[in-house]
Amino acid sequence: MSRSQLLAIKYLMAAIAFFGVMTLTGLLSAAYYVKPDLLFGLLHFNIAKILHIDTLIIWLLMGFMGAVYWFLPEEFGREPEGIWLAELLFWVFCAAVLVVALIFIFVQWGPGTEQTLWLFQQGRKYVEAPRWAAIGVATVMLVFAWNIVGTAIKAQRITGIMAILSINTVPLVLLYLVAFPAISNMAVDLYWWWWLVHLWVEATWEILIGCIMALAVMQLLGTSRKIVEGWLYIEVALVLGTGILGLGHHYFWIGTPDYWLGIGGFFSALEPLPLLGMVVHAVYDAGTHRMQTTNKPAFYWTLAEAFGNFLGGGAFGFMITLPQLNLFAHGTQWTVSHGHFAFWGAYACGVISICYIALQKFRALAAVEGRLWIWSFAALNFGLLGMVGSLLVSGMAQAFFERAIGGSTLEAFVATQENPWFVLGMDARLGFGLLFAAGYVALVWDLATLGRRAPVRAVAAPAE
Amino acid sequence: MTPQAFLATSGLLGLFVLAAGVYGVLYGMGRLRESQRLMKAATVAYAALCGIVAAIVLATPLGFGWKLLIGASAAIYYAIPPITWRHLHRTHRDRGAQA
Repeated sequence: MSRSQLLAIKYLMAAIAFFGVMTLTGLLSAAYYVKPDLLFGLLHFNIAKILHIDTLIIWLLMGFMGAVYWFLPEEFGREPEGIWLAELLFWVFCAAVLVVALIFIFVQWGPGTEQTLWLFQQGRKYVEAPRWAAIGVATVMLVFAWNIVGTAIKAQRITGIMAILSINTVPLVLLYLVAFPAISNMAVDLYWWWWLVHLWVEATWEILIGCIMALAVMQLLGTSRKIVEGWLYIEVALVLGTGILGLGHHYFWIGTPDYWLGIGGFFSALEPLPLLGMVVHAVYDAGTHRMQTTNKPAFYWTLAEAFGNFLGGGAFGFMITLPQLNLFAHGTQWTVSHGHFAFWGAYACGVISICYIALQKFRALAAVEGRLWIWSFAALNFGLLGMVGSLLVSGMAQAFFERAIGGSTLEAFVATQENPWFVLGMDARLGFGLLFAAGYVALVWDLATLGRRAPVRAVAAPAE
Repeated sequence: MTPQAFLATSGLLGLFVLAAGVYGVLYGMGRLRESQRLMKAATVAYAALCGIVAAIVLATPLGFGWKLLIGASAAIYYAIPPITWRHLHRTHRDRGAQA
């Protein structure tokens, strides 16, 4: 086992741990809607929500980094350049996340000065972390980029997947710099902030997970590099072609010029098209391999990724992406429903799949079997489907009663919070959230005890 | 746009993409198993998609340009599964021949 792969295991373990924090704070956030005075004076809704969405970013990012560190030595045939620094920064990264979480819980805010931006928080959704922590994240990203690019330079060789991954590190690092400026004009601030949020998530992350899943499919199914790379190029072209200007759907109502209504709507309408190709590809792979593999959990989570991405990003997104409809639906639980489903399908399923792939080799398992993964797979996916369905009901009630009928007034907002459809959706979301949390516990238990319940032998080299 | 038309339009757009997904899955399974029944089911799913497009065009207050875009998307959705399948089949076959 190389140092890079040992670091990968640490990153994946940290990712799963922060996945747990995200789940717990998500449950808490859901519970506030059902019992608004819960933990009154102790932990406010906004803090639980910040922790929920920030740990979402952190656990996925750590999962991606773990996946890349796992595959790097196999791709280059050597340890990554500067791996010692990456090992050091892993602990710095974890410590920084914990300190920031403690600041959010116990300090929360400060006076409107530069000092608050540097020490407590920057107050912008998803990138609330104070500047010292943001500098830390940027440093981690820079070292991560150097680990990939520097290794390619030293190894004097590069594969198609690694070339795309290397190029992708440039926007991955540069776009994060948007986390730093504190622009006082809100429209201008949001304009650039969406570059970070949308272009990280719907461009650089899409490419990152595309590269990771390409490597995973090669290892999992023995698919040839030529085939995988050919599809990766097509996917990158289509995702970037529709995703970059799909950014426009975030510019509808923030004070940007009218032409963004057309641009955003048009390119967003195209976004589901490449996702259908991925679904057909998943059916092909599943069928030609007759669902037979030595790592069924990884295989099923890979399939869940293709279908979840299509449904969550494609179908749920298309319902609210045209400007005439987004006018009523944006910022309601409808958007939350789409966000949950899309993140789950596009990224979370892929990271869980990588955890199983890495563990199979790490524990030298001949096959990853058992029933626990099926329970966790079912509970997590049904829990998620139930949550997004419930949020959809609540969101539709908001868009219909509060926005379309009520005209977005404060009275309409308050009245809709007591609307039976809205309340039913929020209650059901909590219930399905508990099912999801049970699935998480089963997942952790399965990952922790995998080697004890499966036949063990030395793992053969993956088929080419 | 009335509140009722808003909800109906939004629901139809979601169903439009969902029908495309069902068509893609059934098409893939039909080709995989060489099953005429599944291929017919895929055709039915695509016919449902066309029905949804007709409902969007005839019954929703979206502008002409958006309706045109949705109609064009429906045509592209029809082509994606067969093109993807052919390309997949060819690349795997070529690779098998090389091996």
